[in-house]
Amino acid sequence: MEVSFGITGKGYVLVAADTTAAHSVIKVKNDVDKIIELNPHLLMAYSGEPGDTVQFAEYVERNIRLYQIRNSLPLRPPSAASWVRKTLAQSLRSRSPYSVNLLLGGYDTSDYTPHLYWLDYLGTLVEVPFAAHGYGSYFALSLLDRYHDPEASLEEGIETLKRCIAEISKRLVVSPERFKVKVVDKDGVREIEL
Amino acid sequence: MPDGSFAHPQERQFNPYSENGGTILAIAGADFTVVAGDTRQSEGYSIQTRYAPKVFKLTDRAVLAVNGFAADGNMFVKKVKQRLEWYRHAHAKDMPLRAIARLIQTMLYAQRFFPYYVYNILGGIEEDGSGAVYSFDPVGSYEREACRAAGAAQALVQPFLDNQIYFKNQQPPAGSSHPVHLPLPDVLSIVIDSFTGATERHIEVGDGLEIFVILAKGRSTQGFDGRSGVQELSTTPEGDRVFVIRRELKKD
Amino acid sequence: MSIMQYNGGSVIAMVGKDCVAIASDLRLGVQSLSIATNFQKIFPVTDRLYLGLPGLASDVATLHERFRLLTNMYTIKEEREIEPETFAQLVSSTLYEKRFGPYFIEPVVAGMQKTPSGGYKPFIAATDLIGCLNFAKDFVVAGTASEKLFGVAEGLWEPDLEAEDLFETISQTLLNAVDRDAFSGWGAVVHVITKDKVVTRKLKGRMD
Repeated sequence: MEVSFGITGKGYVLVAADTTAAHSVIKVKNDVDKIIELNPHLLMAYSGEPGDTVQFAEYVERNIRLYQIRNSLPLRPPSAASWVRKTLAQSLRSRSPYSVNLLLGGYDTSDYTPHLYWLDYLGTLVEVPFAAHGYGSYFALSLLDRYHDPEASLEEGIETLKRCIAEISKRLVVSPERFKVKVVDKDGVREIEL
Repeated sequence: MPDGSFAHPQERQFNPYSENGGTILAIAGADFTVVAGDTRQSEGYSIQTRYAPKVFKLTDRAVLAVNGFAADGNMFVKKVKQRLEWYRHAHAKDMPLRAIARLIQTMLYAQRFFPYYVYNILGGIEEDGSGAVYSFDPVGSYEREACRAAGAAQALVQPFLDNQIYFKNQQPPAGSSHPVHLPLPDVLSIVIDSFTGATERHIEVGDGLEIFVILAKGRSTQGFDGRSGVQELSTTPEGDRVFVIRRELKKD
Repeated sequence: MSIMQYNGGSVIAMVGKDCVAIASDLRLGVQSLSIATNFQKIFPVTDRLYLGLPGLASDVATLHERFRLLTNMYTIKEEREIEPETFAQLVSSTLYEKRFGPYFIEPVVAGMQKTPSGGYKPFIAATDLIGCLNFAKDFVVAGTASEKLFGVAEGLWEPDLEAEDLFETISQTLLNAVDRDAFSGWGAVVHVITKDKVVTRKLKGRMD
């Protein structure tokens, strides 16, 4: 079962996603990176229909890159989120829609604010303080209702993230064994070892 | 061709239930209870009758409103009345309200696997003289409340009652608190407004309105004695008394 | 479960004396799971015109973008801002364009309409998801709590309410209706529009 979630804190966004590739009941891989770096201050966790996910993520990545080359300026997180949403919404009413759910985390270098967006395959877009996709959302969201602090430092944010992962590992029947965690802040995107 | 042989099996079905629209409502006061219901009875888009009572006097201190499948409702009221008569023969007094409530639960749950397709609201006066409303689901879950709406326009009326009876989402003026019980004239106004609103927006509600008022022993008729269309139904003016107010619901 | 109830949410608009009000809840959910409690469903079109878009959240954003484009094009071509009644017709025709594959939205329009004498009169309208217009003189409702909104509004609304009283009426109507609807709630936003200003207030309500 795919699980991904993200939380914002003081000047950063943390995003975590499981690393499993499953074929029905078989785990095929356990080191998959499902968080793509769209530009130095933008990352995107993706889940959904195998095939659609990577295809769509790379399509987004190339288009964000194309924008940066054409305009010599990166797309800011709100604009990137709007573009991705529009693409998904158009895809939904096309002949073969993408079945991809996303969390978009970014740091706006113009006004120094972190942004986290929750998107689903229908083209629903909302900016949130914390978010989750998959069965993990039933555990993570209630924990984050209790423990999320928008003013928390990165260390405190990681602690909260660990709580979520621990709960999912404990209570979800088909829990993933490993999570990949990435953070985006003023210094850009980097991976974090828990 | 169907020939009654096993070669061509046929399936037949009979649906024992129907839904006859209408709405009921009850509000408890400190020493009175108001139970009301409209009198339209419909099936689908057809009006079967413009006067089919849904609210029934059980005793001098208990009134039962029954909404849902009218045939089940009428049969259920008939059986409750029969049990209350047996109680009178056995004990030489009327059954207390809380006992009637429990009786209704048992009678409904007895039909757990072929339920009476009805929502019941029982209103009246408790033995301590307080106004009471009991509301039931079709299989007998029940609860004593201060007010309850049920039936076709429940979704329209109940949130209005939350606001006007329970003062939900309202802040009391500084240094005071919301009243626990409202006076009778206010309750009657809220009942009439509820049904006027429901009549306006719901096609299954309309025609007539019957408002039963049950007064605790010794309480004066102050609050509705000026009204037209009032009729007393109690057997004796001494104990708790029951009145009914009959009105037309707006026709435009 | 209908697509119209997938994300939840409700909108209501009311007419007052020389004013109109439009209000909505703030929930965004996926069936019974609440995702966000800050989801905007009412958008300004001009200084005196607001548009409410309850329904499928994806189409809320799509239609918001679409109407922003259409009204900007209108302003450029006509060299003036769009009037509420004209905008309501624009909403209607935009939705009917997709008659056989509709947007899952039931829009609500509220604004102050310019009169030939130079004054302003209140205007509200609502449509179904294929653009059938309803010009009501009192109030319009839409969304998952629409039945409840009808019931409470029918009991609380009266003609010629002043701006402050209209605010109280629409707020109480919305709050008490969404409290009986599992798909709506988590706070509310109310806009009261008069000829020379718009007062926007956020309401807390029951946060459960």
